[in-house]
Amino acid sequence: MKISRNIRAFLYLAPSLAVFAAFMFWPLVRTFYLSFFSWNMVKPVKKFVGLANYAELLSSPLTYKILGNTAVYIFILLAVNFAAPYVLSFVLSCAVKRGRGFYKSAYFMPSVVSLVVGSIVYMWILNPVSGPVALLVKHIGVSIPIWSKTDGIVIVILSIITSWKIFGYNFIVILGGVSGISGEVIEAARIDNVPLRRIFIDIVLPMSSATGVYLFVMTIVQGLQYVFTPIKVLTQGGPNYASSNLIYQSYHELFVVYRTGPGCALSILTLAVFSLLLFMEFRFVEKKVYYES
Amino acid sequence: MSPDARREFFLHIVLISVLSVLLFPLAFALSNSFKTLSDAYSSVGELIPSRPTLENYIHVFSRLDIARITFNTLFIAVIAAVFKVATSVLSAYAFTAYEFEGKNALYFVIISTMFIPFNVTMLPNYLTISSLGLDDALIGVALPQLADATGIFLIRQSMKTIPKSIIEAAAMENKSRFGILRDIVIPLTRPAIMSVGIIFFINSWNEYVWPVLMLKSRSNFTLSLALQMYISSEGGTEFTVAMAVSVLTMLVPLTLYLIFQKFIISTFTSSGVKE
Repeated sequence: MKISRNIRAFLYLAPSLAVFAAFMFWPLVRTFYLSFFSWNMVKPVKKFVGLANYAELLSSPLTYKILGNTAVYIFILLAVNFAAPYVLSFVLSCAVKRGRGFYKSAYFMPSVVSLVVGSIVYMWILNPVSGPVALLVKHIGVSIPIWSKTDGIVIVILSIITSWKIFGYNFIVILGGVSGISGEVIEAARIDNVPLRRIFIDIVLPMSSATGVYLFVMTIVQGLQYVFTPIKVLTQGGPNYASSNLIYQSYHELFVVYRTGPGCALSILTLAVFSLLLFMEFRFVEKKVYYES
Repeated sequence: MSPDARREFFLHIVLISVLSVLLFPLAFALSNSFKTLSDAYSSVGELIPSRPTLENYIHVFSRLDIARITFNTLFIAVIAAVFKVATSVLSAYAFTAYEFEGKNALYFVIISTMFIPFNVTMLPNYLTISSLGLDDALIGVALPQLADATGIFLIRQSMKTIPKSIIEAAAMENKSRFGILRDIVIPLTRPAIMSVGIIFFINSWNEYVWPVLMLKSRSNFTLSLALQMYISSEGGTEFTVAMAVSVLTMLVPLTLYLIFQKFIISTFTSSGVKE
């Protein structure tokens, strides 16, 4: 009886598990395996090199530049797509009475549009010579740098293009968490004339912490993968690797210069970072170590 | 005005500013797709074209095999969406209707796939699909995306809201588990299933990374890949044509969204409520 129940449950799960095994877990094992070899995808023989690919990564200054870039991407993505929607969703659910449904629907619209479209449209909007933004700021005597060729600012622009797509989606998700808080608690605080800023910090943040952690983690996990598209389409990681991040760099090693060893080692490094985030997600969200409910 | 009303007015200004930043790129693409190239250069920020033209769309329909490109995109998106929905419903039901050993561990394993970045799987998947002879084939693009942890998660959330008593009553009448899924659970969770399916369709429609690795010949291009041909580091000289292709690329996802927005928004709102 017990065994047959296990088997029947497994039959329902089998189709998904088969796809995950074949195209997620088995590839993960293969990538790990290939990170110990020197290969170029074409040669018939793979040469075992032990930890040499990892040693090469750790001794190369380029790796640290890539890690630094990745950190900057994460910081900007969090500021625009985690902090800002958090505050905005509180404002909308607490201090704005009219037009809530409208803002929700309208903010989500860019989230259903391709990032290739976003990249090509922004390339023109932010064109340093003839784009509308450049023409606008010319009136006040400011000029836009050639951002696709400028260190630092290139990451800012690529993050903004990506944020254009994620912002509305994140806004909807965090709004779900924030508006789940009982209105009575907030109403009581408002009657006592507690300022909105304090209500946000002392009541809303702790009571929506599970959704908050979930969104924090997902912004990094999804954001770093989404930003690949504008990098690939607009800069190919340039100028001189200034806009490359962990994920783009491993693509570059794997499919541009065909060095599968360092490419797979970089992929495993990315996976290590994401595993930390998975741990966070399970520690604070799925295990219910929080104040909600 | 009372202080509260004054504050609300000010907040609407903030909210509308954010909104115009988000929607400007869509309006920009739409308006420039109806301008001639020289008009676009002389008045790029003008949102209502003073001399609208269809020449960019005529160019797209005569130079690009846009019917073929749209069909390719649609073909991959329909296969991915249908299979992802089917596998997600079955898996979500296993977690809803059965108690079995290792249930929590298995759920963890499934959720953890959301944390595997695509650069970890793309080389082995490329090698697998190539060894099956499916490189540069539409079916090879669809094959690795027939299941999705997000779908399992969202549909399970919706199935959880069905009262246990309804399912138990049906079981008492000797209804099979599969019959319960087909006749009771699926009809009750239809809005969630539908919006998850539409989001899968839209995401696949917009997909770029995996198709660009797999598809080489132009006759197999999807809309995102066709659009990419209009990008060069200087911006290229076919700017207005690129805007027309952009508009055609976003037409289907935006239309679907506008029709089903209620369901989609409520499904994702509930995904944020962790309980």
